[in-house]
Amino acid sequence: MKNIIEIKNMSYRYPVSDDFCLKNITFSIQKGAFTAIVGNNGAGKTTLCNAIRGFVPHFYKGELAGEVIVDGKQIVDYQLGQLGEKIGYVFQNPFSQISGVKDSVFNEVAYGLENLGVPVDEIIQKVEDVLKLVNIEHLRGKNPFELSGGQRQRVALAAIIVMDPDILVIDEPTSQLDPIGTEDIFDVIRLMKERGKTVLLVEHKMDLIAEYADNILVLHEGALVMQGPVREVFSDPKYATFNIQYPHVTEVALNLIDIGVPLKFIPIRNEELPKALKMEWEENND
Amino acid sequence: MKLNPILNLHPLTKLYFSLFVTISVIIIPSYIFAFTWFPILLVIAIIAGVGKQYLDIVVKALVLLLGIVFIMQLFFYPGDQVIGEWWIFEATKEGLQYGLVLTSRVLAMGSAFILFFRITEIRDFVKALEDLGMPPMGAYIVLSTLQIIPEMRRQAHTIMEAQKTRGVETEGSLLIRAKAFIPILTPLILSSIASTEERAITLESRAFSAPTKKTSLHKLKRSNSDRTIPIVLLILMISLIIWRFFL
Amino acid sequence: MKRSFKDDFNMLAMLLIPIGVAVNLVGFQVANVLKLPIFLDTIGTILIGVVAGPWVALLAGLITNLINAIFNPIYLPYALTSIAIGLGAGYLSKFGMFKQIGKVIISGIIITFIAVIVSAPITVLVFGGATGNTSAIITATFLAAGQELWTAVFSSSFITEVADKVVSVLIVYFIVKSMSDRYLSKMNYGELYMKRKQR
Repeated sequence: MKNIIEIKNMSYRYPVSDDFCLKNITFSIQKGAFTAIVGNNGAGKTTLCNAIRGFVPHFYKGELAGEVIVDGKQIVDYQLGQLGEKIGYVFQNPFSQISGVKDSVFNEVAYGLENLGVPVDEIIQKVEDVLKLVNIEHLRGKNPFELSGGQRQRVALAAIIVMDPDILVIDEPTSQLDPIGTEDIFDVIRLMKERGKTVLLVEHKMDLIAEYADNILVLHEGALVMQGPVREVFSDPKYATFNIQYPHVTEVALNLIDIGVPLKFIPIRNEELPKALKMEWEENND
Repeated sequence: MKLNPILNLHPLTKLYFSLFVTISVIIIPSYIFAFTWFPILLVIAIIAGVGKQYLDIVVKALVLLLGIVFIMQLFFYPGDQVIGEWWIFEATKEGLQYGLVLTSRVLAMGSAFILFFRITEIRDFVKALEDLGMPPMGAYIVLSTLQIIPEMRRQAHTIMEAQKTRGVETEGSLLIRAKAFIPILTPLILSSIASTEERAITLESRAFSAPTKKTSLHKLKRSNSDRTIPIVLLILMISLIIWRFFL
Repeated sequence: MKRSFKDDFNMLAMLLIPIGVAVNLVGFQVANVLKLPIFLDTIGTILIGVVAGPWVALLAGLITNLINAIFNPIYLPYALTSIAIGLGAGYLSKFGMFKQIGKVIISGIIITFIAVIVSAPITVLVFGGATGNTSAIITATFLAAGQELWTAVFSSSFITEVADKVVSVLIVYFIVKSMSDRYLSKMNYGELYMKRKQR
């Protein structure tokens, strides 16, 4: 599989700051992979998203070193407009994430397609599909300014995936949502992966990462300290040193091991804990 | 769907009509002609179903202005034919004449302008300008301004209430009231400015600067009247000019 | 990026325009609610002139008057005044006239002159010398005292404008002072007002 995103020795400093907030980062992402970015507050997750999308250093100015290559091409060689089609970016704050010129959710979701010059019939069809997919059909006639935070988050996601980009960069899309809303969003993201999209997701809800993501990037104080398949990273003792949350079941499992209960492997999904206990038990009783 | 024949006209047709009214009162100096426009405009507003709000706005915006403009001319316009006296002021015939001309013009132009925005959705007007070649950024700025204003008004209100409960005084001497102004406005301004960066990112994420020609779900229709009315207005305008300057 | 830095400025600067317009309108409204004797309806235009330059402020001024004119067409001809105020504030900022409080007050007086020089001819030529605001009474007084129409209009509008504009520029000065370097670093003229210099 080819790498759709490659980052080499990237460092970045905001214009009014003394410190680099991303330090010498190198990684690559395969086409179609679902990668989660985790880390504590201020670790540089959002800045990393902005760098992949080209907003660093474009909007934020400051100093960028190293290379960012998207789909075989240096990001500096893209025109900003082209990147909009290639990389969909949904960021944290749902309140500023509306176009500000549309009077209904339907038109809001259609906005990106209008900008891309998609024919009107096609726009209407695509928007209908996405409203269904993200489960916001009932909001279609509402003014985006009158929506709740959670509703806006869904609209923001819908407005991006309707444009059908190859890569989705999504920064904490569920911060304003309840558990059911969160599951809905993850279902949509999984569907995107099934459709062959490359997904990068910043998220604090580790249970969901363990369930859905393929790989993890762990950021700590601006450095990329761990990367690899989800299971390997969560079972690596090194992960514990960064004080980042574990999936709940992993946390329980590690406590069990601490008090001397042996486990055959470290579970990261809920259904794996009984399995790990059972395998260990069967081995001992053979 | 609105079926009103006036509301359904293309925004530019309505604009041409307002411009026609404005230019006609400049060409024809008679105040009787200029004053005739207002009843006509009012009838149009009533047919369009906006008569009451139209009249409200005209009264609120123009009556005081017209009164003052008229009185100023009546008493202070240079002239010798005194037709009345009041305290130290003298009303002249020339003043009366010029007062009527000026107020009739201001009334015709002002009420034509007000009518235009009563019978035209701004969104449609902006779309019409966009179709004429206004850059997308221009359209964006106007539409986004119209959405931000009520939003910011609401925020200002919230902040004022919050300041009051926190003990910032908004009543009392001038100095006290003046001091309340800054803590109300500053947070509003700073938070709005802070949000522009994310708004820019949102727009870029929605391919705002994509190098293609944009399409639009919002389409303006042109009916037969939209083709004939501008031509009729143009012919009338030319006739007025010929009548005024060449006959 | 192939798009030049100039374009970046434009995108962010353009997004400031709606905010400037809204600040003008809300400022006027708040001044009204607080029953202040001045309008404070150009704070947004001046602020944008100071941080984003004359051309952006010009547009903010123009759009403010166009939107006000929808409900009150008197504002329409005075769009020229708003435009001039925006240009003036922008150029004053460019020449460092918003950096210290003394200079700021001088800027306020210069902006008053700009506003008066542009608005007085409109008042005289379009409205015959007076519109519906407070300066009409002052104009009438001057006229009754035997002054020429132009002098009367100039003096009365100077009297009503000067307090408003000086207070407005002072408010803008304090707002710019309270902006963090992070905001300022993104504005066209922000560097002028940053507490630390950009590297």
